[in-house]
Amino acid sequence: MSTRKSLIKIKPKKYKDGEVVKVSFMVMHPMDTGTAKDKKTKELIPAKYINSVKFNYNGKEITNMTVWESVSVNPVFTTYMKINGAGKLTVTFTDNTGEVHETSTKIKPKG
Amino acid sequence: MQRRDFFKTLGVVAAATALTPVVSFAGTPVVSKNAMSYKTAMDAITGGKGATESSKIKLKTPEIAENGAVVPVTVDVESPMTANDYVKAIHILADKNFNSRSININLTPANGKAMFSTRIKLGGTQNVIALVELSNGEFIMTSQNVKVTIGGCG
Repeated sequence: MSTRKSLIKIKPKKYKDGEVVKVSFMVMHPMDTGTAKDKKTKELIPAKYINSVKFNYNGKEITNMTVWESVSVNPVFTTYMKINGAGKLTVTFTDNTGEVHETSTKIKPKG
Repeated sequence: MQRRDFFKTLGVVAAATALTPVVSFAGTPVVSKNAMSYKTAMDAITGGKGATESSKIKLKTPEIAENGAVVPVTVDVESPMTANDYVKAIHILADKNFNSRSININLTPANGKAMFSTRIKLGGTQNVIALVELSNGEFIMTSQNVKVTIGGCG
C-alpha cells in the first residue's frame, strides 16, 4: 500500500437517501508515458501510469475504469453515484509498476 | 491527511509543472508499448461493428486547448440508468495519439447518471471521440475537434 496523497470529494456535501451525487477522486500521480525525456540527463523517463481504478460502495463494485497513459498528471476522475444507505465508499487504483492504493470515505445520508 | 494539506501540495506541483516547458518530440520519437491506432482501437472495442453518430451524447471539450497536457473532457449521456436500460461503458479516444485509447469507464445502474469527466493529454490538433456502449449492445459515438497549441505527450 502506497502513501500517495489522494482525496474523495462528494458534492453536494449534504445529501439524502436516493439522491444522485457527484463523486470526484483525485490523486497525486506522475502519469509518465514512457516516451518523454529528462531535460538534464537526456534519458527516457520510465513509464508509470495508473491502469485501473475501481469504485466500491458497501462491498459492491459500482464503477471500474481502465486507464492508459494519455490521462493527465495528477488525475481527477469524476463520476456519479446513487446514495443507497449509509456505509463506505472505497476507491482502489493500481498502476503499471504494481503499486496499489486505497482510499475510503464514509457515506452518511441525512433524512 | 487534511484537506488543506492536499490542496497545498496540489498547488506546489501545479506551479512546478507550469514552469517547466513541455519537452518536444526531438530526435527519433519513442513509441509507447501500448500504441494502437484509432481504427484498430475502434474495431477492438466494437468488435468490428462500428458505431452510429448520436445526439444523445454531449461531449464537452474546449475548442482550442492552449496546453495539450491538460485538456478537460466531459461526457454526458442521456439515459434513464435503470436495470433494463443503462449505459454499460464510456470510452474516450483521441484519434492521433500514439495510443488512441485514453480511458474506458464501465458503469452500472448504481451510478444513477451516465456522466464522466477527467483531463487527458493530446499530442496535437485532433478529434476527441466519445464512444458509448449501451446495455442492449448498441454502440453510439460523437466527436469534437480540439486545436492544440502546445502538444502534451512529450
